[in-house]
Amino acid sequence: MENFNSVNDILDFAIQAEQDAVEFYTKLSQHSSNSQMQQVFSDFAHEEMGHKARLLEIKETGILETSHEKVMDMKMADYIAHANISPDMTYADALVVAMKKEKAAFKLYLALSQRMQDPKMKELFLSLAQEESKHKLRFELEYDENVLKEN
Amino acid sequence: MADQDVKYLKFKTYLNAYCPYCHESFNVEKKEVKQLNFKAVYKGQEVSVKLSPYLDVFEIETSVPINEGEVLDDLVCPHCNKSLINRDMVCGECGNTVAQVIISALSRLIPFFICLKRGCEWHGLTKADERRIKLKIPRQDMPEQDKTMRIHNHQEVPYGYRSELASLEAGRCLQCKTPGCVEGCPVNVDIPSFIKLMREDDYDGAAKKIKEKNVLPAICGRVCPQENQCEAKCVLGLKDKPVAIGKLERFVADYERKMDLVRIPVIKNKINKRIAVVGSGPGGLTVAADMAQFGYAVTVFEASHELGGVLTYGIPEFRLPKSIVQFEISYLKELGVRFELNHVIGNILTIDELLVHFDAVYIGVGAGLPLFMDIEGESLGNVFSSNEYLTRMNLMKAYKFPEYDTPMPKGNKVVVIGGGNVAMDSARTAIRTGSTEVTVIYRRSRNELPARMEEVHHAEEEGVRFRLLVSPVRYIGTDYNMVKSVECIRMELGEPDASGRRRPVPIENSNFIIECDLAVVAIGTGPNPIIFRTAPNLKRNKWGYIEVDPETNETSIPNVYAGGDIVTGSATVIQAMGAGRIAANAMHKKLKGK
Repeated sequence: MENFNSVNDILDFAIQAEQDAVEFYTKLSQHSSNSQMQQVFSDFAHEEMGHKARLLEIKETGILETSHEKVMDMKMADYIAHANISPDMTYADALVVAMKKEKAAFKLYLALSQRMQDPKMKELFLSLAQEESKHKLRFELEYDENVLKEN
Repeated sequence: MADQDVKYLKFKTYLNAYCPYCHESFNVEKKEVKQLNFKAVYKGQEVSVKLSPYLDVFEIETSVPINEGEVLDDLVCPHCNKSLINRDMVCGECGNTVAQVIISALSRLIPFFICLKRGCEWHGLTKADERRIKLKIPRQDMPEQDKTMRIHNHQEVPYGYRSELASLEAGRCLQCKTPGCVEGCPVNVDIPSFIKLMREDDYDGAAKKIKEKNVLPAICGRVCPQENQCEAKCVLGLKDKPVAIGKLERFVADYERKMDLVRIPVIKNKINKRIAVVGSGPGGLTVAADMAQFGYAVTVFEASHELGGVLTYGIPEFRLPKSIVQFEISYLKELGVRFELNHVIGNILTIDELLVHFDAVYIGVGAGLPLFMDIEGESLGNVFSSNEYLTRMNLMKAYKFPEYDTPMPKGNKVVVIGGGNVAMDSARTAIRTGSTEVTVIYRRSRNELPARMEEVHHAEEEGVRFRLLVSPVRYIGTDYNMVKSVECIRMELGEPDASGRRRPVPIENSNFIIECDLAVVAIGTGPNPIIFRTAPNLKRNKWGYIEVDPETNETSIPNVYAGGDIVTGSATVIQAMGAGRIAANAMHKKLKGK
């Protein structure tokens, strides 16, 4: 487990995590067998880049607006058993991969926030967790709307 | 007439007519025919006149011969001897003098006019009264198999209208000048015209009128969600229930079939070009019929051993008898369309290979890939996709095992996951196989059920239980890996999101178990990838559906068209037909220009 001594350590960690996600989706995009899915993963990578840019901005300006707004958790990522990662992935598979990834990030930040003694650092982790749950919700909503249409 | 009698008012019923002055009845009973008895003056001479009255047709019988086109001088009440002529009114048809009587209808007395010219057909109500009467005729229900009987057989549930009911229902149509129903129909059937022909008892003409735009009326009349299409636009629906357009369509199509009145149009101009249609579902059949009627040589390739696509493998016999599907297809065969069975395009022939032999190709393969929830235990025995379950039952006739080779998937306690029409079909099929408990599990509330309300109603009548706002989270198996129960969680609708919709959200710690020995997953379908493996240049959207030009339904490959579920995702029979019609017209326009 990493040691976090300052807010900047936390932000560096989160920025690196977003960068890992960019690379993950870029790799998936390169390995996809059809052009539509290549585009989908490339879009996901772009979204992650956007998240990274936001964190970089926070680090630079030192301004973090925290919100305690409750984000709806549809819990789809909890119940969907597995995500098939293969060159023939469908868009539905891609959504599952993405929502599970966001869920994992949410859980990680939440766990880290509980370990922190410093209230400012605790708050930062909580707001990162909340951000990830918003990202997850975006994928869950699309899955709900299109894949679980008759369910 | 008491209010409760109103529903028996038939639009072409005999009238009860009264004198506006002495209020005595003109009616006389003569054998089975009710007549109106008057005194009349003709060329200064008193004659007796008997009218056999309908609301819109009068037959006249006089004591002295009156020629067609001649006008009575007067019509007189035989009781009070007063003249019935109304000087403020003239015949709306010929401008001649009219007499006024009072008819009783809908618990009120309404003025009714009779033209005094022999042969003039204008006898009736004022427009306002006619409209008032029509608005009072209730929508007619179709008689159907009793619920206690039908759960023991696979025969069709509704029997269809008898001619009296059909005529009564047809009488409700207001014959709007700018009919919304036509606009609401994806293939723009001229609905007011076919209903008008029905009112003239010309059922054959009505059937032909529908066939101008829809080659599968008996099918559409049964399975189209008219409540969201043509009937949704009917103005009667604003105050009351809309005209039962679908039921009328079914009636005339059945009449035409039963009376053997189907006539194959003569195709005058043969065009020396060939069209391939991939898939024999409703969209493919529409393209095939349209192109054959334009004069092209059409070949339909069907992957299965029977024609009809989803109409055959998906929709159960009790909702759409297969004999009707086959009959409608036989019409296409008579039109000269060739059918090739057991041809999986993508495997046996590629799209590129088809383009070598054909001038244009239409892809109407539907969305036949079953979707699963990807939850734990879906690979256990007796967990079926609805596609497999219904294909076994409908196409392979498993319910007739061992007469047919496919064994019947059977369970005592059956759960069906999903709330669409396919889920209702699966649940109602399970009921008919003798399952003691059939439960539909749906994640959202009743308001969001995507199935037609008619199907939900039938399912409930037949004993299907609904567990709403419940979602499965895993299937639990026996020691020998057969499903024995499903663990579910209760849901609640969350706060409205940005789109204003309330999404189902699980309620913490609300898990419970439903025992089952058969589970059918009916949560929707996706595009089958087979055809695309050998057609990588066919442009698709991120969901895997084919992208087309909406004006022509042409794909990214020139001269290859597509429509129906493979373009839009799961939709309706008539929408697939509408897409086929667009493609056929565009194909014809393009090929003709060459």
